[in-house]
Order: sequence, then C-alpha cells, then structure tokens
Amino acid sequence: MAESTSDRIEAYAKALLEVARAEGMLHEVEDDLFRFARVFEANDDLRMALTDPSLPTDRRMAVVEELMGGKALNTSAALASFVVGIGRAHELPAIVGRFVELAAAERQHEVAEVRSAVALDEGQRTRLAEALSQATGKRVEVKVIIDEKVLGGIVARVGDTVIDGTVRHRLEQLKETI
Amino acid sequence: MHPLVRLAAEHAEDVKAKSPILPEGKEIFWAVICFAIVFALLAWKAWPAIKKALADREAKIRADLESAEGAKNQAETELAQYQQQLAEARNEAGKIIEEARLAADQVRKDLIARAEADATELRGRAQEDIRLATERAVADLQGRVAELSIELAEKVVERNLDHDTQIALIESYINQVGSR
Repeated sequence: MAESTSDRIEAYAKALLEVARAEGMLHEVEDDLFRFARVFEANDDLRMALTDPSLPTDRRMAVVEELMGGKALNTSAALASFVVGIGRAHELPAIVGRFVELAAAERQHEVAEVRSAVALDEGQRTRLAEALSQATGKRVEVKVIIDEKVLGGIVARVGDTVIDGTVRHRLEQLKETI
Repeated sequence: MHPLVRLAAEHAEDVKAKSPILPEGKEIFWAVICFAIVFALLAWKAWPAIKKALADREAKIRADLESAEGAKNQAETELAQYQQQLAEARNEAGKIIEEARLAADQVRKDLIARAEADATELRGRAQEDIRLATERAVADLQGRVAELSIELAEKVVERNLDHDTQIALIESYINQVGSR
C-alpha cells in the first residue's frame, strides 16, 4: 500500500537516525546533513541536477559524494547519497529536517534553526542556545545557517516560534511603515 | 277624230262620273258592318285582357315605385349608418392617434430619462474609476518610493555592515532574547 509523503519522510528520517546512532556519530551526521540540506535548498542548479530523472543515478550520487567528500563524515555523505540515489532528492530537506528534529527530541531538545549573515563561534552558539531556551521555555539546540540575505543580525525559528532580529526584517518593517 | 283621242275623251267622262273620295254606298255599308263586328269582338275579348294587362302594369309600376321607395329609404338608412360609422371611425382614429401621440410622448420621456440615468451612472462610474486609478497610482508610487528607499537603505547598510557591526548585532540579539 502506498504511504503518504509525511509517513515516508518520517520513515526515512528514522532510518537516518538509526544509522547515525549505530555509527555513534549522531551529532556530527546531524550537522553535516543539516548543512547539506541548506546548500541543496539555496542552490537552484544543484537542486535541479539532483532531482533530474534523466541524469543517471550513479552520476547524481557521485555529485553528492564529490560535494561532501572531505568536508563531512563518510557516513553523512553515504546517507545523503542514498537519499538522492533512491530518487527522493526533492524530499531531502524535509527528511533531514525531520531527522534533526527526531535527534534533538531524543536528547529532549528542540531544534532552533538560526540564520545569520556571518558564522557564530562556539561561545555565541552556546549563549544563543541558552537565550532561546530561556525565551521559549524549551531546551534548544542551535543549527546555524549562513544566509547573506538577512544582511545582519539573527533570525531563529523554534517550532512555530520565530524571533527575528535581522536587519532585513527591520528594513521590511521600515518599508511597511513607509 | 283620231281613235286614241276619242278613247281618252270617253275615259275622261267616266272619271268625271265617280267621286274620287267617297266610296260607293254598298262599300260603306259593309265597312260599317265589319267595323261593328270587329269592335264587338274587341270589346268582348280583347278589352278585358288589355284592361287586366294595364292593371297589372299599373300594379307592377306601383310595386316598383314602392320597391324603389323602399330601396331609397334603405339606401338613405345605410347612408346614415355609413356616415355614422364613418364618424365613429374618424372619432376612433382620432382617439388612436391621440393615444399613439401620448404613448410616443411617454416613450420619448422614458428614453430621455433612461439616457439621463445612464449618463449619470456612466459619469459616476468614470469618476469612481478615475478615483480608484488615482488611488492605485498613488499607492503604486508610494510602494515604488518605499522600494527604492529600502533598496537604497540596503545598499547603505550593506556598505556599513562590517564584521564588528555584525558581531555587535549578534550580541545584541542574544542579549535581547536572553532578557525576554
């Protein structure tokens, strides 16, 4: 019987979680896949190439291996390659997003998707996680996405809660006021 | 004397002896008798027939006259009826013409009223369109001005957002979120 999309995403996310846990590198795999999913979302050419059914499967998998090779764990690259190779590249961000949520939930944490124009150091990440935990009343893990579109500052999304302190947001508010 | 002359003289004497106008007595007698017989026969047989024919003729003429009188009266009656009908028809025609004139007048008034109403509606719609178009144009212009202002602001901000400022913004965010 054909499963719904959400069921399939849940199943794939759980599979990734089991593999990462079995390899004992859950946190690292989580970070690698999260970063790859963000790159996949932001890059139209990459997205089109990995979802192009006319491109041979091994070629699409090779692109993933090439992109992640040396920058991520072999396990992470293999898992991303597996998702792309099985023809679910268009669902990769959703699968990875759910995988990260499941991993955080296992640690009894919520994932805060943070977008910033510049990278955050470890100290800033820790303090940001504490601040977001305090603001939302949940134990929060921070996943940072470098996004130059925000111009400056940070926007954090924890579940349905969005706390936007970006320059882009302030400019939008200014535009509305004008 | 010549024989021929003698014969002529004798003949002339004979002619002098008979009247050229009056017939002889016998002839008159028989003529009277014949006349009496013919008269009696006519009086006995022909006269009643003639009298009846005359009476019939008179009756027929009288009947014809009466008939003609009746026909004349009927014709006069019909003429009067015809004239009355004609007068009624003229009257009716007059009424119809008057009604048609009134109807045409009403139609003309209705058409004018409708045309005026349409013109008023069109004018109102046109004014509304103009008002909306003006509002839209002003809104578009405001939006465009806002976009240009924001684009300009973005460029200014981008130019002035150095690393230290970025870090300062991040620290400010962390502090603000932490103090919620």
